[in-house]
Amino acid sequence: MSDHDKLYSTKLQDKIERNTLLMFVLTAIAVSVGGIVEIVPLFYLPNTAMCQNDPTCNNTQHKDLQGNAIPMDKIIWNPATSAHKTLDEWQPGDGVRPYKALELAGRSVYIREGCFLCHSQMIRPFRDEKDRYGHYSIAEESMYDHTYQWGSKRTGPDLARVGGKYSDEWHRKHLKYPRDVVPESVMPNYFFLDKAAVNVDSAIHTMNVMTKMPFNPVPRTIYTDKYLDGAKAELENKTEMDAVIAFLQSLGNHVKFEEGVNYRD
Amino acid sequence: MSDNQNSAGGVPTTGHVWDDDLGDLVNQPPRWWMLGLTASAVWVVVYWLMYPSIPFATSGDFFKGIGLPATGQWTAIKELAEDQAVLDAVRKPYEDKLKDMTPAAILADSELSEYVTRSGKVLFSDNCAGCHGQNGVGSEQKGEKFAVREQGLMAPVLLDDDWLFGGKVDDIHTSIVGGRQGMMMAHKDMVSDAELDTLANAVAAGNPASTPLFAEKGCTACHGADGKGVAAMGSANLTDKIWRFDGSLEGIKHTIRFGVNSGDPMARVAVMPNFTTAGKLSEVDMKKLAVYVYKFGGGQAEAVAPVAEVAAVSAVAEAAPAPEAK
Amino acid sequence: MGYLLGNIEQLSRYFLTLLLGGDTVEATQATPVKYDMDVVRWFTIMAVVYAVVGTLVGVYVAAELAWPFLNFDLAELSFGRLRPLHTNAVIFAFGGCVLMATGFYIVQRTGQTKLWSNTLAWFTFWGWNLIIVLAVITLPLGLTSGKEYAELVWPIDILIAVVWLAFGLNHIMTTVIRKTSHIYVSNWFTMGMIVMITYLHVVNSMAIPVSMTEAFSIYSGVQDAMIQWWWGHNAVGFYLTGGFLGIMYYFIPKQSGRPVFSYRLSVLHFWTLTFGYVWLGAHHLQYTALPDWTGSLGAAISLAMIIPSWGGAMNGMMTLSGAWDKLRTDYILRFLVTAMAFYAMSTFDGPVMSIKSVNALSHYTDWTVGHVHAGALGWMAMISFGAIYHMVKKLWNTEMYSERLVNVHFWVSLIGAVTYIVAMWVSGIMQGLMWRDYDEFGSLTYTFIESVSAMHPYYVMRTVGGAIFNLGTWIMLFNVVMTVRQAGAVRSVNAVAAKA
Ligand code: HEC
Ligand code: HEC
Ligand code: HEC
Ligand code: HEM
Ligand code: HEM
Ligand SMILES: [Ca+2]
Ligand SMILES: [Ca+2]
Ligand SMILES: [Cu+2]
Repeated sequence: MSDHDKLYSTKLQDKIERNTLLMFVLTAIAVSVGGIVEIVPLFYLPNTAMCQNDPTCNNTQHKDLQGNAIPMDKIIWNPATSAHKTLDEWQPGDGVRPYKALELAGRSVYIREGCFLCHSQMIRPFRDEKDRYGHYSIAEESMYDHTYQWGSKRTGPDLARVGGKYSDEWHRKHLKYPRDVVPESVMPNYFFLDKAAVNVDSAIHTMNVMTKMPFNPVPRTIYTDKYLDGAKAELENKTEMDAVIAFLQSLGNHVKFEEGVNYRD
Repeated sequence: MSDNQNSAGGVPTTGHVWDDDLGDLVNQPPRWWMLGLTASAVWVVVYWLMYPSIPFATSGDFFKGIGLPATGQWTAIKELAEDQAVLDAVRKPYEDKLKDMTPAAILADSELSEYVTRSGKVLFSDNCAGCHGQNGVGSEQKGEKFAVREQGLMAPVLLDDDWLFGGKVDDIHTSIVGGRQGMMMAHKDMVSDAELDTLANAVAAGNPASTPLFAEKGCTACHGADGKGVAAMGSANLTDKIWRFDGSLEGIKHTIRFGVNSGDPMARVAVMPNFTTAGKLSEVDMKKLAVYVYKFGGGQAEAVAPVAEVAAVSAVAEAAPAPEAK
Repeated sequence: MGYLLGNIEQLSRYFLTLLLGGDTVEATQATPVKYDMDVVRWFTIMAVVYAVVGTLVGVYVAAELAWPFLNFDLAELSFGRLRPLHTNAVIFAFGGCVLMATGFYIVQRTGQTKLWSNTLAWFTFWGWNLIIVLAVITLPLGLTSGKEYAELVWPIDILIAVVWLAFGLNHIMTTVIRKTSHIYVSNWFTMGMIVMITYLHVVNSMAIPVSMTEAFSIYSGVQDAMIQWWWGHNAVGFYLTGGFLGIMYYFIPKQSGRPVFSYRLSVLHFWTLTFGYVWLGAHHLQYTALPDWTGSLGAAISLAMIIPSWGGAMNGMMTLSGAWDKLRTDYILRFLVTAMAFYAMSTFDGPVMSIKSVNALSHYTDWTVGHVHAGALGWMAMISFGAIYHMVKKLWNTEMYSERLVNVHFWVSLIGAVTYIVAMWVSGIMQGLMWRDYDEFGSLTYTFIESVSAMHPYYVMRTVGGAIFNLGTWIMLFNVVMTVRQAGAVRSVNAVAAKA
């Protein structure tokens, strides 16, 4: 086989084409750049809800209409500074909080059933989405969502702020047989959730795992030993339906948004 | 194999050969393509400079771009503000008026009530129709799929003239602002089977007062001596044969036995969420909805009264604390 | 175990014979090199089978959105659980088997060498199929990690990493031991895919397990979203596109008997794609809670990707210049060329969807689904079908059982794909417009549920289009099975004749 010495591109390219290792290394370098530039800054730039173990979350800055920084504990619930000290005392508007035991169990069911394939949980800053779903979502609101649930398709409506919109009883009926409540719906019937008990061990384990996350773990000042110990009793005799409903009802009312303030950058 | 100069139209190949006959021609990429590629690279750089693209922190923030020639720096939130402004300009003349008006006054103004009807459609459908059905027709749970306690309407029909809590536009407004949660205790420990049978039959016949049990068991305290209901409590009218829940004999028995929102696990549950605490709807939205619902046709006529009277009525309604719903 | 591995090839050959009848045949070569083609045969057969299965599940989930009673009140059949089965079946089962079949086929032939390790290739085959079987079991059971296109649970993720590395190592080492001086362009793209997918899979799948079947991502919110779409987009860019471009660069010149149009274009196409595609992930997250810069960064490069992509499409199409008449008789070439047209179309559609104002409309709607399937049905599946037919003929050293059925398959695929794509584009744009429409009073015109009802006719149309496309895959399955049987029969007859 004759080797043609005339080059039709560059010397380097010719070398690359002859050397597997070189091609491998250069390809690996070429594919690394974009990812690093886009991903790494999200771990340290402001307004990315990257709080690590810092309860004041200094990295995050929002300014009110006068240009003053909004104290972080207005956005992210901090039991140390809040009037409400425990998860059970927490009130809507106190700031972003981790999920309660039952809600977290419900979130696992939500993931398992693939709800996120039809429902987004990310309201974009558009006037029509504001009219339909409410205030646009901000980074902090999903900071405790390990395996984020923003979704990429709205076969059904956005659920980022569905909490409090309906009663528990409505959700129960709707989830069981959506078309009995909304005749045009294309959502599957989830009546079987009403028959399945919450997997208590798995739920407790999940809470423990959430406190051990390398990025944005749930602070142990919130999932205290006392709370974790009490969780078991809280979850006994609950159905998966109860759990999903608790999860849905927890969505969207954590932060009290002021009209006109820019919460994005 | 041949000499592998597998040329087409006189163009030679690079001379490399794979798998007997694979080669590549030395054709240059077309000129337009090379220009396009260069333009693309330039485009990327220009775009990155104009839009916020460069993730370097500058004084605790990131570089926002030098902006667009015409409109200056771009941010998603600025874009929102601009779009919103266009909308607000259209809405403003109406919204400004609505802010200080009572629902009854809105109803009396034909232009405003047209505006409200338009904006009420999506508000109602996306927030209320889930329970009350599209256009307030109600949605009913029936059949074997549902436990006995779930049978019947999900929430009251809103386009008829049967109202639990009153059908004046201000009553409707109060229902929305504060939510509603009627309560009827469970009677299972107070009535024997025979008594239950008698009561339920009387109720089903639309004449509850025909049995003395109706008063003896305390039903009249809520449903009134005539069984026509008391709007302040949201207790149902039991004489009109319009059923809020399941109107079959079994259904009625179930209601009496276990009550409504009584806390009994078998009780019927009827909660109208409190749209003020849910924070989904603005005050004006709730007024719009009151008028919108009223205009389904079932609203009680006295509400459309001379303006002075309306003001007085609504002052009373506002003074009264809204019922708490959880 | 060692014994088993050593005999894995014999065992597999035995099964193949049992399944298809007759004996299997070594491919004959102009240049007398003996290749390891049995494993390629098997990957090819499985690709055909998974094409049928994957699109069948697609038709089913499409039908569920049109007629929700099809969920049958069964958790295992519900849309939310079956949809990931569809995406995994078409991307990883069908797409994966095509990539591995063609990868091993091309790397051997263009390097004029056997595989670096035939045993490792068989390990890859059984490992990959095991993963697919596990996916078919776990996904309907609701065992999922909840990340799109990376749904499989963590023990399977580990298995994927192992098997993928076995494939990658084998492929790259076969490039190392090649007999030709230069590495053929197809193998550049495959190498890019191997490197990138390994990298993506490992970073994106980082999770802390709760049990054997459940784990939660170590990242949360904004960071998790960016990493997920860095994965999501590049699974598209390097796997569904890069890998299949490798296929294009081999099978179009081979099938048309003409050299690649422009070597320089190949070089530029490869490096611009390899360097550029990685940045695109952020276009999935425009206007979300990420800082504005991320979306803009992704959008700018997305638009700039039109030219490199079209360069590739042109390189494929122009390879045919002067030989267009072949399209009249060569049905395989029709598949390959049509695929290039769809490639050009979806790499135009995608960049357009990356423009901020367009994405504002298209995101969350069926437009995305239309775009996906323009790429998936039109580009990725069509190029695969072409490659499969080409390989089947070569691998079994025979003609197709029926050329006419290849032609029928082509038309059926085209009609099905166009029906699907048109339905979704229309419904997607309509959905987007309905959601944002305001009347003259400044009130939203449509309720959400009106948009749901309005989608119904298009969901029906999509189901029909999908069913037509699926029919095509059955035709291919039939044709391929008959071809292999026929090849076996001919071989047996010849063998008898030879003995006599
Ligand atoms: C096949 C797609 C699909 C799946 C899967 C799905 N939904 Fe839905 N969902 C819809 C559609 C369509 C609607 C709008 C019609 C209606 O209200 O039923 C909806 C509405 C809803 C609503 C009411 C939202 C509102 O604001 O009115 C909730 C809550 C909801 N879904 C929760 C869930 C949960 C929880 C799951 C998973 C267990 C789920 N959905 C799975 C399609 C789906
Ligand atoms: C979660 C279900 C639910 C939603 C959502 C809901 N409602 Fe209701 N609504 C009810 C129930 C249940 C009742 C009856 C309460 C009772 O029986 O105690 C009710 C009662 C009412 C009444 C009083 C009816 C009467 O007969 O007096 C009005 C008016 C009303 N709703 C309007 C609305 C409007 C307007 C909205 C949307 C902003 C809305 N509802 C949303 C469940 C709901
Ligand atoms: C504490 C007050 C209270 C008492 C006492 C009470 N009710 Fe009720 N009842 C209500 C309320 C409030 C409703 C309406 C529930 C709703 O729609 O939210 C109701 C509803 C009903 C209904 C259902 C009507 C329909 O349209 O479906 C029946 C039947 C009924 N009551 C019968 C009785 C009888 C018989 C008694 C006596 C044994 C009784 N109630 C005692 C408050 C009461
Ligand atoms: C018969 C052919 C097919 C039909 C009927 C079909 C149908 C569907 C349906 C109904 C969905 C869900 C869309 C939604 O959620 O609204 C979907 C999603 C998807 N399909 Fe297919 N499909 C087919 C073939 C394919 C093929 C061959 C591929 C190859 C890669 C593919 C890749 C995908 C992907 C990636 C998604 C996810 C899209 C997204 O999340 O935006 N499909 N398909
Ligand atoms: C230069 C080329 C391309 C660009 C710039 C591009 C861009 C995009 C954009 C903007 C979206 C929508 C994101 C959103 O709003 O959620 C998208 C989605 C998608 N594209 Fe492409 N695309 C390209 C090529 C392709 C090709 C060739 C394929 C298929 C083989 C493909 C497969 C997909 C898939 C599967 C999704 C759905 C992701 C999801 O689940 O949401 N793309 N693409
Ligand atoms: Ca998607
Ligand atoms: Ca009545
Ligand atoms: Cu993408």
